[in-house]
Amino acid sequence: MFDSNEDSRRFKVKVDSDLEELIPGFLENRRNDIQLIKDYLELNDFENISALGHTMKGVGGGYGFDEISEIGWEIEQAAKNSDQKTIEKQLERLQYFLDHVQIEWE
Amino acid sequence: MKILIVDDSEDSLLLLKTILSKAGFQEITCVTSAREAFDILGVDDPEQAQFFDLIFMDVVMPEMDGIEACRIIKSTHHLQDIPVITITAKDEEKTLEAAFNAGAIDYITKSTGKVVLLARTRSVLSLKKERDQRKAREEDLLATTKLLEKANEQLRQQSLQDGLTGIANRRRFDEKLSEEWERGRRDQRPISLMMIDIDQFKLYNDEYGHLAGDDCLKEVAYLLSKRLKRPADLLSRYGGEEFAVLLPETDLNGAWDVAEELRTEVEQAGIFHAKLAYHEVVTISLGVSAIIPGLNNTTNDLLKQADEALYRAKSNGRNRVETFLTLEKE
Repeated sequence: MFDSNEDSRRFKVKVDSDLEELIPGFLENRRNDIQLIKDYLELNDFENISALGHTMKGVGGGYGFDEISEIGWEIEQAAKNSDQKTIEKQLERLQYFLDHVQIEWE
Repeated sequence: MKILIVDDSEDSLLLLKTILSKAGFQEITCVTSAREAFDILGVDDPEQAQFFDLIFMDVVMPEMDGIEACRIIKSTHHLQDIPVITITAKDEEKTLEAAFNAGAIDYITKSTGKVVLLARTRSVLSLKKERDQRKAREEDLLATTKLLEKANEQLRQQSLQDGLTGIANRRRFDEKLSEEWERGRRDQRPISLMMIDIDQFKLYNDEYGHLAGDDCLKEVAYLLSKRLKRPADLLSRYGGEEFAVLLPETDLNGAWDVAEELRTEVEQAGIFHAKLAYHEVVTISLGVSAIIPGLNNTTNDLLKQADEALYRAKSNGRNRVETFLTLEKE
């Protein structure tokens, strides 16, 4: 699904070392988001999915994960259109990112 | 510096708190809703308020959003000086206008970097500090001004008071005389004046010494003031052992009655005076005059007439009241 040259750039993330202790929890919360959004999809609850996407978009950039921000934006928009397919695609993208992300502290 | 962060997202709270505390801001309180923030800030109960120097307020929150919360904080008296920085997501800049209208001083987005975040935090805090200092200086100045006004009023009172007896002095008497003269002329009402002198006061001083003389003056002043009941009546020390009493809206008969009461009061007080040929206690002589102020007379006439009456009281044997009789003939 993703081109491997692209991968190495995309998944290397520089993060402020001040935030080191927060990052494991932050990434864990995103894994929880995936499950939550899947649960909401079962219930056709696009309003809560949109809110979760919004939050993801907001905090992603703050922690230095622009990729997560971008996924959050995509999910928020798709939820507004009740676009289940796109949401599922973005969840796969998020899962893949979380599995492959490499952090460089700076 | 105490900072309050209001954000419903735990990730967001932790991020902000971590960046701020790593930069040395140690007193940070985090809450996840406007309601919790209001409790801590004492919006409903100022007695319970915790003090903060800066509030970070997320805009998008369930129940009450950050714009409304900011508006309420800014319209709460004890909170309105606390700067509020709103936290918005990337594309919410359209809400910034609403945030600024609600009283926010600045904003950050959730992805604002550390450097910018800290720079804005520091500049808002230093602005707050300057404001607080200026406010404290203004309050100091106000307090000082009030003290000065009070001191001035005290000085004014003192400048109108006789130091020994505590009753009005000659200056106050002159002021009051012209005031009442004007009023009497306007209303065409009589005004009465009594000149009072302690009989043979020089002998008393010679016999008992000046300190005893002072005590005698104080005692007589006290006795006279005790007898004068109307607030508009003014007893003053006119000079030496001489007192003057001004009785607005009083005719000669009324003034004579009051004078007689004063004379009796002093006599009955029984201040021992061994050097009097006619008595054993201190007495006073009183000269009374009354005039309806008009274009043909002045305050000098009133004073001169009272003096003349006093002179007659003295020469007719002291311890008595005499009036300026020609007034009644006119």
